[in-house]
Amino acid sequence: MTGAPHGLSRRRFTLAAALLAAGCAAPHQGTGRPNDPIVLTLLSHYASGELKAALQGPVDEWNATHDRVKVRTKAVEFNDLLTTFMVRQAAGQGADILQPYCLWNGQLVRAGVLRPAPPEDAAEITRGYGAAAAGSASVGGKVYGYPTEAQTYALYYNKRLLRESGVTHPPRTWRELEDTAYRTTRRDRYGNTLVQGFGLSTYDESTTVGQTLALLNAAGGTFVSGDGRRTAIDSAAGRAVLDLERRLVSSGASEPGVNVYKAFQSGQVAMVISAGWWTGSLKAQMGDAYRDVAVAPVPVPELGAKPATLATGFMLGVNASSQHPREAWEFLRWLNTDRVGVGKGATVTRMSALQVSVGSLTGRADDMRTLLGKGGDPNLRPFLDALGYAVPEPNVPGAQQAKSLLRKNVEALWTGQQSVDESLRTIRRQVDREVSRSW
Amino acid sequence: MVNALTPETTARPPRPRSAGPARTAVGPRARARRHQAVVAYLFLAPVLLFFAVFLILPLGFALLLSMSHWAGFHLGDIQPAGLDNFTSLFAGGSTFLTPVLTNTLLFALGTVALALAGSVLVATCVDNLRFQGLWRTLYLLPIVTTVVAVGNVWKYMYEPGGLVNGALNAVGLDSVAFLQDPDTALPAVVVVQAWASVGTAILILTAGLKSIPESYYEAAALDGAGPVTVFWRITLPLLRPALLFVCVTQFITGLQSFALIIVMTRGGPGDATNVAALEMYRQAFSYGDWGTASAAAFVLFVVILLVTLAQLWIFRRKGEDA
Repeated sequence: MTGAPHGLSRRRFTLAAALLAAGCAAPHQGTGRPNDPIVLTLLSHYASGELKAALQGPVDEWNATHDRVKVRTKAVEFNDLLTTFMVRQAAGQGADILQPYCLWNGQLVRAGVLRPAPPEDAAEITRGYGAAAAGSASVGGKVYGYPTEAQTYALYYNKRLLRESGVTHPPRTWRELEDTAYRTTRRDRYGNTLVQGFGLSTYDESTTVGQTLALLNAAGGTFVSGDGRRTAIDSAAGRAVLDLERRLVSSGASEPGVNVYKAFQSGQVAMVISAGWWTGSLKAQMGDAYRDVAVAPVPVPELGAKPATLATGFMLGVNASSQHPREAWEFLRWLNTDRVGVGKGATVTRMSALQVSVGSLTGRADDMRTLLGKGGDPNLRPFLDALGYAVPEPNVPGAQQAKSLLRKNVEALWTGQQSVDESLRTIRRQVDREVSRSW
Repeated sequence: MVNALTPETTARPPRPRSAGPARTAVGPRARARRHQAVVAYLFLAPVLLFFAVFLILPLGFALLLSMSHWAGFHLGDIQPAGLDNFTSLFAGGSTFLTPVLTNTLLFALGTVALALAGSVLVATCVDNLRFQGLWRTLYLLPIVTTVVAVGNVWKYMYEPGGLVNGALNAVGLDSVAFLQDPDTALPAVVVVQAWASVGTAILILTAGLKSIPESYYEAAALDGAGPVTVFWRITLPLLRPALLFVCVTQFITGLQSFALIIVMTRGGPGDATNVAALEMYRQAFSYGDWGTASAAAFVLFVVILLVTLAQLWIFRRKGEDA
């Protein structure tokens, strides 16, 4: 065989190596000079549907009005978000702007991923947002980002089921909650649940823990101590919550194995504690039956007790590895503080408008009142009111593991594997061990 | 075999070291051999590179991580930790040994026992039926179905209003909260894993059955042996190579199982169905504790190795070679 010489020529080899190196290198981010704008990447969980479109709107507006700095969005599903942060960061490909779930903030700050907010942004966040939202976006008293969606927990109830059981108003105290749960529960002759009085659910970690922590906060307790180094659930409030849940499950008023989100939509759950984001899903999926759904504050142990509940949320922060932090904060300031008109002289931030457009809330109570006053869903009001008194979900280092351990022990209690005392002891031992390791 | 030329060859006088013509005679041959070796290594290079990048490198990195603290974000933040991660796995209060590792072994053992018993029974029946290809295809269907689909379908079947409880109710029995009761959750998932893996076992065992010479069965029939005796004295002993393969591979799959459990129970209720692979995933990707996750991976590796060696030893004692 004759023809071409064997092997790669030195020139071709150099070309191939250069192409390979170019492929492996970080993407060009620009210099900010004319015709070479800085390109910031924003990694969020707004991966599909209306969320994706809602974020893309303001980003497109920014890109159309700013020549020096452009923003490119990247999104993954929520379940892949933390993993994506890890993998990209380890590979030196971390996005400039991150949108973490606030529970992870302690973990991210400890790993040096998040950059503290500049003083003017920190002051704006502390001043302009509710305490729960600002607290969620802070670690150790230092603010790390602009809170985006803020979720508070309240009691959803089915007015028709309560009415059919002779209950005329939603429960305000735990005694009323239990009475209503027992009265509304229905089972068939084989023991299958037809209607759960109160929906405690093992559907996922956030549901299980969210329900328990909302009740714990309502009883005046907290999950983690003020310094974040140990659990505080082994208290009178913690014991009262676990006792209440154990009674509800053992009496059959709660069926933890059932998918509470589907069961409530089907009229098979009379009451359930959940976050504000659910109103949008319920409205979309229940159709006319949504008129039976109402929302009330989480019941408190005794009438007249100070209301409290759980708040969770996300925030937008800047990566400590970003080459353009000043530009990233500039974009976040534009998105979260600059105000746009919404008619009749009223103004709100772009982020507030974005969140309400997808049935969610931000920590800016004034914006929420302005937007919800324009024909919003009245069921969102209790969640909005709760922004004033909600307790932020703990976000200390090790918070995710503490949450998982709480979920496991709550499930062990619900399924009769542990007594209330054993559960409290085990939670304290396991969570204290893991949280102290994380510091 | 003795080479007749050997004495003559060994008796050949050594070549003079300084002889010019001899060097020129050996040199090209040596160079040719070296060239051949280089070419061979060049041909092997892609495969060696593949193994280095995707096997040796991750293995070394995992070993490094198992003796380090690392949150998973910056490679520069890897802190040496000695054997801390291993000791913390077995420290008092840790759930890794009990229930996580115990669940893993029970899950694997239950899966292998059920799948092996079921597949031997079905393979023997299929071997005596017409349309064997059709039967084998039917039993192989779960293999080509995704674990997520299998897990979700069975999850609905186990639910209080589902098919399984419907059948129980039809015969007058009360419903059972299969996946919500810590006593029934693990066995319920074991049944699904066994059901999903029985197809592969049947395929291998039917091939094993085909390889048993017909003359043994004819001799047994002449001696008047019944079907039970034939099964115990002829079929089962001669099926041992296939059984060994099925047993070892199913056990390894069972010990590494992750997807079905995360779909059906997420390890709950409590820790009732939590297994080592799921715990490793959580430690690494949810809690950012890559050191503990890597240490757990090496512990699981040792467990798999010991279980596999034990199986090989047991089968060898019975006269079966791996």
